[in-house]
Amino acid sequence: MNWSLFFDLTVSGLTLGSVYALIALGYSMVYGILKLLNFAHGDVYMIGAFIGWYALHALGGPVSPSVSAWIAVAAMFVAALIGCGLLGVVIERFAYRPLRNAPRIAPLISALGVSFFLQNSALLLFGAAFRNYQSYDLIGSRTFSFGNLYFGTPQILTVSGALVLMVVLTVIVARTTVGKAMRATSYDREAAAMMGIDVDRVISVTFFLGSALAGAAGVMFGLVFGQVYHYMGFIAGLKGFTAAVIGGIGSIPGAMLGGLIVGLGESYSTGYLPQGSTFQNLYVFALLIAVILVRPSGLLGKAAIKKV
Amino acid sequence: MSERPRLLELTNVSKAFGGLQVIVNLDLHVGEGEIVSVIGPNGAGKTTLFNLITGIFEPDEGDILLGGTSIVGLEPHQITNRGVARTFQTLRLFLNMTVKENVMAAQYGRTKATVFESMLRLPRARREEREINRLAEEKLGFFGQRLMGYRWEQPAYSLSYANRRRLEIARAMATEPRILLLDEPAAGMNPAETHEITELIGKLREEGGYTILVIEHDMHVVEGISDRVIALDHGVKIAEGTFEECATDERVIEAYLGLRSADTK
Amino acid sequence: MTLGGSDLPSPADRPDEPRVGVDDWVASHESREERKRGLVGVAARMWALLPPVGRLGVFVIPAGFLPLVMSQSNLARYAIYTLVFALMGLGLNVVVGYAGLLDLGYIAFVGFGAYGYGILASSQFGRHWQAELAIPVVALFTAFIGLLVGLPSRRLVGDYLAIVTLFFGQAFVLFVNNANRISFPHFGHVDLTGGSNGLANIDPLNFFGYKVHTTTQYFYVLLAAFALVAAALYFANESRTGRAWRALREDPLAAEVMTVPVNRLKLLAFAFGAGIAGFTGAIYGSVQTGAFPGDYDIGLLITIYAVVILGGTGSIAGVALGAIVINCVPELLRSQQNASWLFYGLILIVILMRVRPWHRCLAFLAGLLAFGFAVHALAAASWPRLTAAHPRGGGSLKGPLEHWVLLPSHPVKIADFAYVVLIAAILLVTRLDGWRRLLALVPTLYLAAMVWENLLIQQTAGATRLILLGALLVGLMNARPQGLLGTPRVEIV
Repeated sequence: MNWSLFFDLTVSGLTLGSVYALIALGYSMVYGILKLLNFAHGDVYMIGAFIGWYALHALGGPVSPSVSAWIAVAAMFVAALIGCGLLGVVIERFAYRPLRNAPRIAPLISALGVSFFLQNSALLLFGAAFRNYQSYDLIGSRTFSFGNLYFGTPQILTVSGALVLMVVLTVIVARTTVGKAMRATSYDREAAAMMGIDVDRVISVTFFLGSALAGAAGVMFGLVFGQVYHYMGFIAGLKGFTAAVIGGIGSIPGAMLGGLIVGLGESYSTGYLPQGSTFQNLYVFALLIAVILVRPSGLLGKAAIKKV
Repeated sequence: MSERPRLLELTNVSKAFGGLQVIVNLDLHVGEGEIVSVIGPNGAGKTTLFNLITGIFEPDEGDILLGGTSIVGLEPHQITNRGVARTFQTLRLFLNMTVKENVMAAQYGRTKATVFESMLRLPRARREEREINRLAEEKLGFFGQRLMGYRWEQPAYSLSYANRRRLEIARAMATEPRILLLDEPAAGMNPAETHEITELIGKLREEGGYTILVIEHDMHVVEGISDRVIALDHGVKIAEGTFEECATDERVIEAYLGLRSADTK
Repeated sequence: MTLGGSDLPSPADRPDEPRVGVDDWVASHESREERKRGLVGVAARMWALLPPVGRLGVFVIPAGFLPLVMSQSNLARYAIYTLVFALMGLGLNVVVGYAGLLDLGYIAFVGFGAYGYGILASSQFGRHWQAELAIPVVALFTAFIGLLVGLPSRRLVGDYLAIVTLFFGQAFVLFVNNANRISFPHFGHVDLTGGSNGLANIDPLNFFGYKVHTTTQYFYVLLAAFALVAAALYFANESRTGRAWRALREDPLAAEVMTVPVNRLKLLAFAFGAGIAGFTGAIYGSVQTGAFPGDYDIGLLITIYAVVILGGTGSIAGVALGAIVINCVPELLRSQQNASWLFYGLILIVILMRVRPWHRCLAFLAGLLAFGFAVHALAAASWPRLTAAHPRGGGSLKGPLEHWVLLPSHPVKIADFAYVVLIAAILLVTRLDGWRRLLALVPTLYLAAMVWENLLIQQTAGATRLILLGALLVGLMNARPQGLLGTPRVEIV
């Protein structure tokens, strides 16, 4: 048993899992409140990665930024958080809100359209070339060790950053008035409206938070894996969605758990399963099918009982 | 009253959702040709009863027999094919299909032509289609002129509320059932329409020969149609008998109106 | 308690006639129908009078004359691909339109058909089956695969189904991209699909020894296939199965209680749609003389969805119309000249149609032109680099455009920025009304022209087309979710 491979894969899995968990949170929250699969979410993540890149280059670039490296990184995150948050709010306002009372298929198609629009707008504006974060030049790569697990700088940044964001989100949802309103709206939108909750505003806030997290995830991905390109949102979005479903869609702890499972699963499959690196997406897919068949509401989700 | 053969029989049926016990040890039977009404305050478990009979849910305990054979565990469409048809408390029509198509769609179980036979317009398919058409028109004709003529091609969402209720009954009739389960057929109707429904239910038994189990809140209707009345409260049968017997039963009055207490005087 | 109707006082002079508003009167009065006004109404009524064979003929018979008037290459680009898209759309229509199931992996079934046919009739394995055998085998096999995919989907509600099928589609693309490196235990190394290069050298269709090799012949094969499938689907929709599918789409629970075996019918819809997809895929593979992984990915999926949705889900004629629009418009856009005419022409038509009355319309157009010239002159005077370049397409429009639109000498950064501003401006315009909207529309349209000339026009074959497709889907859902020929649906949410 090659333990060093195992620990390497575990670190990689945890890092990936953190990214997926952040994406999954956005999916889960939006689905919980609107029962909508936001296909455009993955592309918001991609835009976040690009915003981070452009922010970095606005500050002078990775090799010689005009501010200290850590301030640059912070600026990238802030820019992505706010930029993607706003993007999510705009998307909701124009592509989903008018369809709130339309048949279920309409917002799904609209989401597909938005996804396509974003992807190809990025292609148009940014070109097809991959952009590189060059994070090694920016923040170097010291090794941090926890027992047998060795994290590089970008990886520890990702994992800890994701943890921080998830804690913040949980606090917002559990402790603040807005969070309470979000939970109420997700249980019963009409009743929430009748109790004086501004449902439109709550939904906008939900989209803001979810999209902001996706943006942050995009920057993290860029820092860890280096390359960002216009198509990256598609597969990442699918995996983020898988994570949300596995964990139980509509459940916030479920999204986090699901993200970890998908990240680790993908990582281990590249190492241990036959032809893992080519077919890793297939294995993730198989995992999804398995979970759905055995436990349709996901690991931490609650089966909804509908009144007939 | 002479004992008619029991068409529908529930023995010791219980059902719980989560921790909530919705139906508790219920014994119920409907004889062939009878009209039985189920009454009870909201939340008493009446619609759940229908859902159990039609196979949407399975009872946790107990058995449900149709014509002597158990139907527990069967899929809803199989149960309907065996002769149980229902309407819904909140209407569930196929709104974007035409009036006639609604009634034709319900005849799927009675017919056999495969899609390939239909595509090739083979004789069996054409024959069955004519028969489906005829039966649909016949069932719709039960309601006078209201659902006839040009109305056949109108989408169901263009119908008035009362007509939608009638259409749902016609659709249920098209499955050629032995027993009809009507869930609050008079809900939302004005006195004139309510009276019509009362007459209609009687007509369903006289001319259609259906056995009927009705959930109803409007006591005028219950009084006008029932051979027997069963009262439920919190999933338990609290009274059974003729309308007079149930209406004067203390437990029924208590369930609907509450205990007489010194404070309310 | 009195019967309905006798409560109402009867008019003194007509005691025996039914009363107005009473249901019997309504029922016995002349038939009540929705009649559309004007030209559209006349067309709709004539259409409704035609028997189904006639309606099919309206499309097929004029189409049959196309090879006589079009060049071979035009025939291929416009007509053949339109028919291919229409066929794919028909299959998708069964799943999405009739049964209401959102299948996002549909295009994989087309791929199955293409690759399947390639395995049976190409130099890959040295087998050269004839089409009359290969195509049914491939179609049936694909239908079976559709059944398998549908099995886990029985328990899934719409959204989950969408995701699972999407994954399946991606799995398929992944598989065919890499299936040239699989080692089977007994057979050793097998190259199933040619990997990322695709399966090349697929045989031309060979019906009973007669080889199809000219474009015109392929066109007729596809036209016949379309007519056949359309007719079959029409009859299927009118049958008890079609009604059951529609009932299932409307309300699965009510359908189940009304004798419709919902799960079985979902599987049937999947298998049916997959079978048609496989059939189309086989012909498609032969038309392209190859099967390539990139063809069966999300791009084509969205295109076929656009075809079905634009035309109106559930409508066969809608699929045909959708295919014509979705295929022919981007083809027209390939030439930059055509594209410009189309762009400006479309804007002009919409303005003429939507801005009424005529004097307001003229004022608007005049204002737009004046605005443009003014800005251009201002820019030319202050920052000459902003107007230094020349317009690309446009042909005879080139002259006036040069003085109207801003054409910076180094457009990239400005155009990118303008693009984002344009999107914001368009969104803003949708929020305004009346004269405010017209006012905001002037700079927006000017900006649009600028973005078009400097940015979009360079990518008409690629990104622009797809951007417009995405925007089309969003706009369509907002404005007219039932598509061009669909009927507006009423749904209880």
